[in-house]
Amino acid sequence: MNGRNVAARQKWTLTQEAFDRLLVALGGDRDSAAQKYLEIRTNLVRFFEWRGCSFPEDHADETINRIAKRVAEGEEILNYSGYAVGVARLLLLEINKGRQREQLALAEIGQASEAYEEKDDGEHRLVCLRSCLETLTTDNRALILQYYQGEKGEKIQNRKKLMDQFGIPVNTLRMRALRLREKLQSCVEECVGSA
Amino acid sequence: MATDLNSESVIARYLLGELSEEQQVEIEDRAFADHKYLASITAVENDLIDEYVRNELSPAERQRFEKQFLASAERRKRVEFARALTGVIEEQAVPKKIVVRESKSWSWMDSIYAFINGLAPAARIAFVSAVPLLLIGAGYLSIETLRLRRELTETRAANQSQQNSQQQALEVERRRNEELNAQLNQEKQQREQTDESLRELSEAGDAVNPAPRPVIASLTLLPGLSRGGDNKPSLVLPEDARLVRLQVGIDPEEPYKSFGVDLHTSAGSQVWTRENLKARNRRGARAVGLTIPASALKSGEYELRLRGVTESGAAEDVGFYYFNVRKR
Repeated sequence: MNGRNVAARQKWTLTQEAFDRLLVALGGDRDSAAQKYLEIRTNLVRFFEWRGCSFPEDHADETINRIAKRVAEGEEILNYSGYAVGVARLLLLEINKGRQREQLALAEIGQASEAYEEKDDGEHRLVCLRSCLETLTTDNRALILQYYQGEKGEKIQNRKKLMDQFGIPVNTLRMRALRLREKLQSCVEECVGSA
Repeated sequence: MATDLNSESVIARYLLGELSEEQQVEIEDRAFADHKYLASITAVENDLIDEYVRNELSPAERQRFEKQFLASAERRKRVEFARALTGVIEEQAVPKKIVVRESKSWSWMDSIYAFINGLAPAARIAFVSAVPLLLIGAGYLSIETLRLRRELTETRAANQSQQNSQQQALEVERRRNEELNAQLNQEKQQREQTDESLRELSEAGDAVNPAPRPVIASLTLLPGLSRGGDNKPSLVLPEDARLVRLQVGIDPEEPYKSFGVDLHTSAGSQVWTRENLKARNRRGARAVGLTIPASALKSGEYELRLRGVTESGAAEDVGFYYFNVRKR
């Protein structure tokens, strides 16, 4: 909500022309500029997630709008990734101020902020996950189940065993597990959403 | 600041919002500049989510986790996914544990006792009386097996030694074949060069004597002679000479894989050219051999340009050689 309030305060809106100018400023050809744009946006979403924001995607878009505005005004930016994080930090300050105001207002009227409630689609998600796991190769299925198995000490031992079993270093194993987890999660979300 | 940014516990503290603003900025700046580090953060994030759904976090960590992680819908989906993944992993892990416990509680002695106890009394007596006989038989079989195994080992060792000597003989034979092949190729190349020169000769229109016996004039050229020097070598070319054999000496260290030659008169007109020539070692010296039709040469002064071709295919000048021809 805070992010939306911040966005609403902005009079300047992103036009097609300003977006095109931003893409031109980001890189040579349009494809590589689009790639760079997506990378910056993904990083911004993560930044706002890490900082515990409720609407990371909205804040990322607002940050990009502000950068596009600066570019349209003729500002010369040398390092877009670094600049984007800088703008995002300033936006975060505004968001946090808004959040504080909101909490004070809520306290005054005696309302609690919306708490996270677990949705009751756990069983369905589990069914989806089982069927998504079936789409993986035997090796990948064994890898993801063993990689995330066990508590702290046991988990470390499992990962060492996997490194030996597949003959790969820890970073490669970690990347494989991350990719598999992301793939599985999007498969599950698609399955849950289609129900 | 002495914070180890690579430490998983520091990354976990960052994700739980426990670090100072300065440390947070440091981690974020590094994450957006280093893809591997970004992946490390995601890995720690996944582990934290898993620990949350398994109730492995302390109450304080749990509280901070809920504040930081459950704020956005996207992250809540990740938590729900982790809950499902943990469920599936637990399903997979439970049967394994049962199997392990069962296999640990049974020894082979237990199995024998269980087998004897399961027999009828008469069968039990017969089985117990047969045990000494069975033990004697087993002892004999063990000794016999050991003897046979020793014999087998000796036979294998003898076979191995025979195989080794056969392999050595084969290796010697293979090397000799390679040498012979190389020699054959060299001679074949030389013959092709000569044949080509002869063909050029016949194409030049010597139809009167269709198959003349080639008379060959030879000259060896050495590097380092200048055009204006007095000590230029001379080739005396008899009237009936059909071929001229030139040996162009080169530095033994020249690294080229092949050579090319251009032959010019003193006036600069090219009279002969050839590519893909190989240098050969003879009596400690290295030279490129050329066979030129005698008809290409007239009395006068000549310049021979030797070009070297490197492994990458680039051509470089190796040297210029000067000689005189006198027809008789």
